[in-house]
Amino acid sequence: MTAPQQQVQVTVNSVSYERVIDPRTTLVDFLRHELGLTGTHVGCEHGVCGACTILKDGQAVRSCLMLAAQADGANLQTVESLRNVETGELHPIQQAFIDEHGLQCGFCTPGFLMSTLDLLAENPDPSDEQIKDALDGNLCRCTGYQSIIRSVRLAAARVRGGKVAGAHGSA
Amino acid sequence: MAITIPGSPQDMPTTAPRYVGKEVKRIEDPALVTGTAEFIDNFALPGMAHAAILRSPHPHAKILRVDTSAAEQMPGVVAVLTGADIKRWCNVGTTAPEGWGSTPMAVDKVRFVGEPVAAVAATSRYVAEDALELIEVEYESLPTVRNPQDAVAADAPLIFDNQPSNVIQDRTYTWGEVDQVFDDADHVYTEKFRWNRVGANPMETFGCICHWDVVNNSLTCYGSYQTPSFIALGRAASLNLPSNRVRVVSHPHGGSFGGKGGPRGTDIAALLSRKANGKPVKYIEDRVEYLLAGAGQSWDRYYQASLAVTADGKLTGFKVDLVDDQGAGAEGYGTISAAKPLAAFTGCYTIEAAQYHMKLVATNRAPTYAYRGYGPPPHNVVLESMVDIAARDLGMDPVDIRRRNYIQPDQFPYTIPSGNEYDSGSYAAVLDKVINMSEYQAMRQQQREAREQGRLLGIGVVNTVEPGVFDWNAYSTVGVPGVGVPEGVKVAIDILGHITVTLGFTLEGQGQYTLAAQLVADYFGVEMDSVRVTYASTDVAPPHFGHGGSRLGVALSGAIMGACKKIEEKFRLVVAGLMQCEPDHVELMDGHMRVQGMPGAEMPVAQVAGTMLGRSDLLPPGMEPSPEATYVWTADDRNEPDDQGRCKSYLTAANACHIALVEVDRDTGITQILKYFIVDDCGTRLNPANVEGQIQGSVAQGVGAVLYEEYVYSEADGQPLVSLFSDYLLPGIHEVPMTEKAFIETPSPVAPLGAKGCGEGAIHTTPATIVCAVNDAIAHLGVQTRETPISPNRLWKLLQDVVEEN
Ligand code: FES
Ligand code: FES
Repeated sequence: MTAPQQQVQVTVNSVSYERVIDPRTTLVDFLRHELGLTGTHVGCEHGVCGACTILKDGQAVRSCLMLAAQADGANLQTVESLRNVETGELHPIQQAFIDEHGLQCGFCTPGFLMSTLDLLAENPDPSDEQIKDALDGNLCRCTGYQSIIRSVRLAAARVRGGKVAGAHGSA
Repeated sequence: MAITIPGSPQDMPTTAPRYVGKEVKRIEDPALVTGTAEFIDNFALPGMAHAAILRSPHPHAKILRVDTSAAEQMPGVVAVLTGADIKRWCNVGTTAPEGWGSTPMAVDKVRFVGEPVAAVAATSRYVAEDALELIEVEYESLPTVRNPQDAVAADAPLIFDNQPSNVIQDRTYTWGEVDQVFDDADHVYTEKFRWNRVGANPMETFGCICHWDVVNNSLTCYGSYQTPSFIALGRAASLNLPSNRVRVVSHPHGGSFGGKGGPRGTDIAALLSRKANGKPVKYIEDRVEYLLAGAGQSWDRYYQASLAVTADGKLTGFKVDLVDDQGAGAEGYGTISAAKPLAAFTGCYTIEAAQYHMKLVATNRAPTYAYRGYGPPPHNVVLESMVDIAARDLGMDPVDIRRRNYIQPDQFPYTIPSGNEYDSGSYAAVLDKVINMSEYQAMRQQQREAREQGRLLGIGVVNTVEPGVFDWNAYSTVGVPGVGVPEGVKVAIDILGHITVTLGFTLEGQGQYTLAAQLVADYFGVEMDSVRVTYASTDVAPPHFGHGGSRLGVALSGAIMGACKKIEEKFRLVVAGLMQCEPDHVELMDGHMRVQGMPGAEMPVAQVAGTMLGRSDLLPPGMEPSPEATYVWTADDRNEPDDQGRCKSYLTAANACHIALVEVDRDTGITQILKYFIVDDCGTRLNPANVEGQIQGSVAQGVGAVLYEEYVYSEADGQPLVSLFSDYLLPGIHEVPMTEKAFIETPSPVAPLGAKGCGEGAIHTTPATIVCAVNDAIAHLGVQTRETPISPNRLWKLLQDVVEEN
């Protein structure tokens, strides 16, 4: 039995990819196993934990709940895009998570970083309640969230101060 | 050579520690925030196949027939494994007590839903799962043992045919003159409690890649292993290999909390690899598998407890009767969680006599495993609830009754009735601090005012002792042998003076690599960034255990101090030779070996290391040119248990007091945590941010256990009803309280650098705090909750009874 094949074209972190895949391939499996972008993690595969959060056309989505085929033509952004490859500098959100101890095992972290990126693009100065609402779909079993809220606060302040490129590519 | 481990950071060879006890950035984090850490599913071996496991849909059934012929023929399938292979190649796993284990895959019958019955390795996980659909299994249902009542019924079906009954252990431990104390008591309170199953649920499920080298008959397992050497020994036993032919390589893992599992998945992947003639096989457990039958279920308990109290509120005796539903056997060492409470059975109190009846029962639920805390969280709900029950009846404030019964600072070291020795503590000071911080009296006032408006506010005040630095002897009551838990590290300084620490465990979240770097940097006076911490697999690492039992920070400190000290001793000899003085006159301070009384006569450690490796002509005759040392630490002065399980087990006794203010919504049964305060004392805080992270994370898990999480099984047929995160409710960012924290430091007089184990204290305390707070909110209505989780429906039903009665 030969599986039917599907052509998919996506742009991930500004690089264009074209692949022929099994149509049932989920987007997260495609990113991780076809493209080797393993920074996006899988915690549940049923849309609850948020570990697989990426940005699709600037909006946070759960890449475990989509088929790769559904992302055909889309512009995707994953955690791998955050660090500046030229300078080696971390994104202020990444740095803020380090500085405020917003992670322990770090497995949930890429998802939190991407949700934060989405939040700060829309709301550069979120209140704690707004931070909580934005991160409500991300589970962390290690930190108890308190340090994550601190991290996002710090990241917001630094992004505001430093005019760093956000999710939507805006300065 | 006896090595003296520094008892405090001040005893380290530095005028002022730059890193130990300070706020530092974790060396683990850059890889984690960039998504480049090598979690097991980010790793691949050439030619690797992917496994999927077919699992039993029945709680208890005979396997009549397994037909894999269609699956075997499917394109892309490289190997199919069934019970027949298992029979040929595997042994039953060891357990404590012995005789309650299984093979990694069911052979003749299944004992729980989710038990593996067949497995496939194929070119992708998708293909492997397709192939599972082609496997036919014929079952004959057996009556289900749904719960402990079923298990002990006269005509109960046997879950393990090699056993005479379903009772794994039934024993009573008596400590002190219990009967006398209860006879003499002015009041005896007795209550029942039910703690429903919860479990670890790290964000990353278990995963591994196994490679059976069929030519050399040896096995390598890469995976998310919490306790690699333990896993390696277990694989050797179950897969019939000499222990030096199993190599375990632990990858960074996305949390563990005891519930990472691995034995069954590893054995299955290993045997698939063996069957596929040595092709590596990857197995990544998915969340449904984890929730059904991973290593994520713990503490399924029915309690009856009695507390003996004098008229003036002195607690004198404590009896606990525990029936623990272990599920289908003891393969996950869930039994240990019934034994661990011995290490702090009577909490912070001078209760003089106690009794523990432990009945461990097998059922057709999934086997129970370790989970952070490993038993005390439910035990403390019972103990602290009983204390509140006494206080309420005697008209005492919960604060006063606790204070009245504390072990006092001058009573340490203090041996509790169940045998363990607490090293130190300042319980009243902790209590005072949290009372001030929380403005306890003002909260009481707020509660009164709210009540006048018909709102249900409650305050919980709970203190616990966290046994830290486990020893195997603590678990002797369930048949675990041995005393001592070795943890080793190697510290090596290269010819250019760069330092590398090699150890036997990997990243799991607690920041122990950072701690290792802090300690070494301060010891040798170098920058923390320059210290490299590296993992060694089980075949080459020094003896090690890894994470578990609130132990690693202390054990690692002991091991690193020991290794550094050994290097220092060698350097003393080298420098004494060079400077023509007695070794005793050479000391290490701030990164230099100095000759006492000779200003300027000193050498930086890098130069000493370089000399050792590059100038053998300058070394004392016969000296080994080795600027490195391995030290294996275990706690001193641990002993064998007596016939009542009493021994010096856990080395340190941290403690904490939590105060919570909650509001119960009468109409919905929803409990909201309004305020949460914590003061803890875990001795020297080697890395304050790590400690705070451990506390807050552990609060979150405690909140989950007490309010939301539950592995529900059908009362009708014993089927598990939880298989998704939409059924098993992990607390999110809105549910976990943002806590206010403070601490005091009573250094341990017996542990390296005075630090106490601190990874589990908050989960020991939080569930009890919330239970006590909820009961404080509703007690005046004449109802009390004795079952966790206190889910809205449970609480609503309780409150409904009141409403109806009124
Ligand atoms: S893996 Fe996508 S939400 Fe959990
Ligand atoms: S840091 Fe481990 S799950 Fe969030």
